[in-house]
Amino acid sequence: MSQSTGAATAEKAHVVIEPNLASRPQDLLTPEDRLEIFRQLYLARYFDVRLIKEKRRGKLRGTLYSSHNQEAVLVGSLFGLKPNDWISPIHRDMPAFFLKDMRGGWRRSDRMGMSIEEVCAQVWGKIDSPGRARDNWSHIGSRAKHIIHSTSMLAGTIPVAAGVVYADRLDGGDAVALTFNGEGSTAQGIFHEAINYAAVRKLPMVTIIENNQWAYGTPVHLEVPTADVADRARGFGIPGFIADGQDVFDVYDKVMQAIEYARSGQGPSIVECKTFRAYGHGDHDDDRANKYRSPEEVEHGRARDPIAVCRKRLIELGILTGEEASLYQAEGKNAVEATDEDFPKEVVQYLNEGIDFALASDIPSAEEGAMWVFKENA
Amino acid sequence: MSAIADAPAAIKKNYLTALKEALFEEMERNPNMLCQGEDIGILGGAFGVTEGLQAKYGEARVVDMPISEACIVGSAVGMALNGKTVMAEMQFMDFISCGFDQIVNMMATYHYRTAGEVNIPVVVRGPAGAYGGGALYHSQMNEAWFCNSPGLRVVCPSTPSDAKGLLKAALRDGNPCVFFEIKELYRKREIEEVLPEGDYIVPLGKAAIRRTGTDITFVSYGQNVYHCLAAADELQKHGVSAEVIDIRSLVPLDEETIFTSLAKTNRLIVVNEAPMTCGFAGEIVSRVSEKAFDLLDAPPVRITRLDTPVPWSKPLELFVLPSVEKIVNAALKTVRF
Repeated sequence: MSQSTGAATAEKAHVVIEPNLASRPQDLLTPEDRLEIFRQLYLARYFDVRLIKEKRRGKLRGTLYSSHNQEAVLVGSLFGLKPNDWISPIHRDMPAFFLKDMRGGWRRSDRMGMSIEEVCAQVWGKIDSPGRARDNWSHIGSRAKHIIHSTSMLAGTIPVAAGVVYADRLDGGDAVALTFNGEGSTAQGIFHEAINYAAVRKLPMVTIIENNQWAYGTPVHLEVPTADVADRARGFGIPGFIADGQDVFDVYDKVMQAIEYARSGQGPSIVECKTFRAYGHGDHDDDRANKYRSPEEVEHGRARDPIAVCRKRLIELGILTGEEASLYQAEGKNAVEATDEDFPKEVVQYLNEGIDFALASDIPSAEEGAMWVFKENA
Repeated sequence: MSAIADAPAAIKKNYLTALKEALFEEMERNPNMLCQGEDIGILGGAFGVTEGLQAKYGEARVVDMPISEACIVGSAVGMALNGKTVMAEMQFMDFISCGFDQIVNMMATYHYRTAGEVNIPVVVRGPAGAYGGGALYHSQMNEAWFCNSPGLRVVCPSTPSDAKGLLKAALRDGNPCVFFEIKELYRKREIEEVLPEGDYIVPLGKAAIRRTGTDITFVSYGQNVYHCLAAADELQKHGVSAEVIDIRSLVPLDEETIFTSLAKTNRLIVVNEAPMTCGFAGEIVSRVSEKAFDLLDAPPVRITRLDTPVPWSKPLELFVLPSVEKIVNAALKTVRF
């Protein structure tokens, strides 16, 4: 008797993979929303393409962790957030810094996301970076914009996100924290400690697992024993959603369900977005990745470009028609093949403005290396 | 009746009560403060430091956490990121290793990484130290790990009034702090004292001279301060006058008080119960050697735990730890150098 009750509870906790079509959150998106999502996919892709080019020209320091082919996970999960919600992106999520709270206009001055200028200043290691170039690439954040600063220990940001929303709830807020991780970091102890704690306390936290099949050089089946990473949720008695990480609208659907579940006080959940890492772990790993992954696997993993999947859907819905439907063809192209003509003009212009700003910004003075170890008290 | 006649007689209090008073006073003073740790609420803490705290301030502000040291620290950092001050208890400081990454990589570096945008007022505190038969995992003094991680205050009080004043100071400092309490002192009758009245604060980075002397300087902290004081008594019989400095806070360190003493005594012994290699005793000797070499008339000496774990059996435990006898012998040798 008790056994069957337990099984029923587990079944209930594991939210169905296919939501009821009649109540899909995406059905409430306007055509303008969908076009904006499409533009944001292009923006995330262009950011990646452009940085790869700049890096190859020797213009950038550090390691570039490409988000190519994973843009739908970022755009789809961020699009439905409220401005006050918190996020904690990790290394492969650079576009998240400027995609946050972008829905109401890219240039809004009160946006609760970073400007492209701030993000580019960080990538170029300039003083106008939010972290004044003290840590590299994705290791930035903003308390003011509700973006949690990550470290290289990946799942290490999950307890921080849990603490942030604990405090927010204590103050009567209704913010949700959206944390990002790869499938590999679900093997870290802190992943389990933090989600266990969030589940015990029913904290409004959604953990996105970008399952891109490879954690650096280790395939998913050597990181996770279950068929789906979302099955991790069962042990915590929380929902584990699975999204098609190539379909931005499916990601949006699943994440919005998770967010509403969290915001309404029911607690945390996991959303596994199944996707595929286009290149190496970082750009330093591109050559070796071509050896430890077969061309067939890579071709298969990249066969459904998120931009193409989105375009197809917009055409089906009659939102993209005629000539408009075939404008800009960035999908399927590697960074070296893609040109500015493959992207919407506003996307190219937006990033150019960010890069121009970064190039004009100064590098920090050497003495700053010894500053801000402690908050100095009077 | 006069107010004076109404005042209760001054009551001596122990080290643990002093810590408890600090927590109650800071929770009262700062509505944005929380406490969290294992067994701190319903039970009131393994040693009782947080007894009564949850009853007064509620479950939301005095939080019983799962056995997850990394999450205890990490979530405290998140709360601090969102405007809170947090006391995070380690049930034993030995267990702090389970939360190490969150302390040294997440908490300690936050202010630095963000160029000052974020400061993290989190005090990770808990019972530490040997001499009680606690064996390998209930005896450690692992303060050196955190002194070697820039961005952390590291504090270790030896008296009840310091326990109270330093904990209050640490909770208001605005920087993350690792706060080592000496569990053997928690209820030690001999060190009970009348606590200073009012909002009593002991500033971080100020050493205390526990005994003045002219022939040799003992620098110590925690319960080894009492070993030094006993050794000083013993040395008096040999005509040797020892000065005892209790540094109280390791980071920041009050070098001035040490140098001033050495200008008078010209001889240095540093005593602590952590292992010797890369321990804080070595750091003090290094700073004296670099900055005050001319003040030394004899080689500086470290008396520390041997480079071993802390064993359980009493003779074994005492063998590896600093003792009054070891200090006296080293002092006699040093003054005759």
